[in-house]
Amino acid sequence: MKFFQIALLFAICTACSNQPAEIHAPDTALYTDIQTQLINAKPGDVIKIPAGTHYFDRPLLLDGVKGVTIQGAGKDKTILSFLGQKAGAEGLKITADSVLVQDLTVIDSKGDAIRIQDAKNITLRNVKATWSGGAKAANGGYGLYPVGCDGVLIDKCEASFASDAGIYVGQSRNVVVTNSYAHENVAGIEIENCTNAEVRYCRSEQNTGGILVFDLPGLPAGNGKTCKIHHNKILRNNHRNFAPEGNIVATVAPGTGLIFLAAKDVEVYKNEVIGHKTMGAAIASYHMTQLKWDDKNYDPYTYDIKLHDNHFERKATIPDLTKDFGKMVNVYFRGKPQDILYDGILDDKRPKSANPMNICIDQPQSGLRFANIDAANDFKNIQTNLKPYLCK
Amino acid sequence: MMKLSKTWTGGILLLCGLLFYNCQNQAPAKQGLVVNGPVRFDANKAPFPKLSEYAFFKGIQSELKPNAGVLPYELITPLFTDYAHKSRFVWMPKGERASVNDEGRLEFPDQAVLIKNFYYPADFKQPEKDWDLIETRLLMKIKGEWQAFTYVWDEQEHDADLNIVGDFKPVSWQDEKGRKQSIEYAVPNKTQCKSCHNRNESIQPIGPKVANLNKALRYPDGKTENQLSRWQKSGYLATGDYGKQFAKLASWNEPKTGSLDDRARAYLDVNCGHCHHPQGPAHSSGLYLQADQADPTHWGVCKPPVAAGKGSGGRQYGIVPGHPESSILLYRMEKTDPGVMMPEIGRVMVHQEAVELIRDWIAELKGDCK
Repeated sequence: MKFFQIALLFAICTACSNQPAEIHAPDTALYTDIQTQLINAKPGDVIKIPAGTHYFDRPLLLDGVKGVTIQGAGKDKTILSFLGQKAGAEGLKITADSVLVQDLTVIDSKGDAIRIQDAKNITLRNVKATWSGGAKAANGGYGLYPVGCDGVLIDKCEASFASDAGIYVGQSRNVVVTNSYAHENVAGIEIENCTNAEVRYCRSEQNTGGILVFDLPGLPAGNGKTCKIHHNKILRNNHRNFAPEGNIVATVAPGTGLIFLAAKDVEVYKNEVIGHKTMGAAIASYHMTQLKWDDKNYDPYTYDIKLHDNHFERKATIPDLTKDFGKMVNVYFRGKPQDILYDGILDDKRPKSANPMNICIDQPQSGLRFANIDAANDFKNIQTNLKPYLCK
Repeated sequence: MMKLSKTWTGGILLLCGLLFYNCQNQAPAKQGLVVNGPVRFDANKAPFPKLSEYAFFKGIQSELKPNAGVLPYELITPLFTDYAHKSRFVWMPKGERASVNDEGRLEFPDQAVLIKNFYYPADFKQPEKDWDLIETRLLMKIKGEWQAFTYVWDEQEHDADLNIVGDFKPVSWQDEKGRKQSIEYAVPNKTQCKSCHNRNESIQPIGPKVANLNKALRYPDGKTENQLSRWQKSGYLATGDYGKQFAKLASWNEPKTGSLDDRARAYLDVNCGHCHHPQGPAHSSGLYLQADQADPTHWGVCKPPVAAGKGSGGRQYGIVPGHPESSILLYRMEKTDPGVMMPEIGRVMVHQEAVELIRDWIAELKGDCK
């Protein structure tokens, strides 16, 4: 009888295919082989990982060797699963210049899937990061995560179900994210404290927020600037926000296409921003987070933002009610989703004018919903007139 | 020293005792690999495949008796590694000695070797008896650069083999309170060593700082002496009154050695400050936990997380004064999920006593994050 019950349980469990698979025994022989190659690598080595789903209980680490290629057999062919991970937070962690990671998938890492730190000229190509249990707060924070790098290329990659950002580039310089697909993460693609970054020809779909350009205080690489966001499809980013509280993205309202937070010198053009229930684009200073900061060198304002030739199309529904930004849109815009919202918070040190922060919007489509929400004065004087912000 | 059940151990000990008694006047019964002669370190050939080849220990290897020139040392506040007991030694080539830099960190000469053994006594109430040797880590300075290697002891504890990719080793013991503990101890791989021993992307020792060495130790010759003066007498440390120059670190679990604040900061310095340092691998977090970090935001007070993910535990700030239950720093110390816990490697257990220390400390901090 008991055996029968167990067998039945097994049958039921196998049937629910949406659950993460049961933990497999780690392939220690393959792990040892690859990790040994990574440790003994010489500059220029190509380390191949064969096709198949390989279960590892520890992260793979590459450190200090220039120009190594970590090569899988294909994005959905070589799958490194960290479902039974016992040690180390990441799936793949790299601190090595000129690394190329291509044609593989990292799945179910306990922490970030692929983290590349303090390296020059790194490339991720045709790489995927995901979590098999769907959108959960317990998933790792970031899918593809270069931080503190100079020279980043993320090309033809995919990231989904990250509890923070699918593709996240932090504190880096000279960054290109292109031809990539981020879906069902909290943030699809996030550029944080970067200088000279470009996100182009990407698809960011069904995340909580589509593409975010943030500049945060208290970090070694402070005051990022200069970013281009163009030719992207930013679609239906209405996913419920499943980020753990405390993280800045936990404040993002579901239904947000683009956010520029304390961002400087950003040009946004020829993007399709379609199907968002709260707002297409938000232009906000760090004050909007209501978080304290204690960083004398930090510039919390957003300025020199140029939006032109994008296509905005709202979702016809009630904006988000779960986060403060969504509630604000509901209260002040009577339950109508907006295309572009600007917080109107001004840096008093700048000369007074109609548009001291140099926000320029050239979006000649009819029916565009724009507002300066006058956040500095408790939303007392919300202005929907776009005229002061038309590009000269 | 092998893994034996308690009853068996007792029986075998008795049996060994009887055998010893009977054979006392003949050749002494020896167990394990015996090594004689001086230390045989060769920077050009290191790392050797087996630990015994260096001859850092004389006689039976598993007894860890230091050879001539191999000096034991202890730290006032050590790094926590799953309650593993550690025995530390330093060796330097003849005529060489360490100097002290501006931060009070020891600058070692070329070919210096730091030796750290990790072991678990079967009963923590009797730490000198019946222990299970796990690994011996060597930090050696070769041509100006530190290199890290670990040697994993074989089942019989004859010798330890060089291990590059790390391992898991099941260990069990009875703790001070008589509770049985068992874990899968994680031996780090070569790259993981550097993830803690890292300053500006090159390997650095963590422990040997004047502040953390400035204590008395009972040496194998029976004498009890301050470590700085013993190092100087042994010719391993440049002359100077460094003990006066650098404030002594508090011992995290000895209230008489410092205030709650001193002890908490000492614990965080040793256990976190090697990564969470402006030149350490966790610099990108903006959280700096070395004891001399004066800016409260940088050591976590009201500091929002940067890339914590689920490591935030739903909490807003690293440290909320007066509120340990709202502080991310404590949350991450209390967890063992590799994606949440801090330090992110080097433990699979919670350091309960340290959690209590940090909880008490945060509870007493004044201020708020409003």
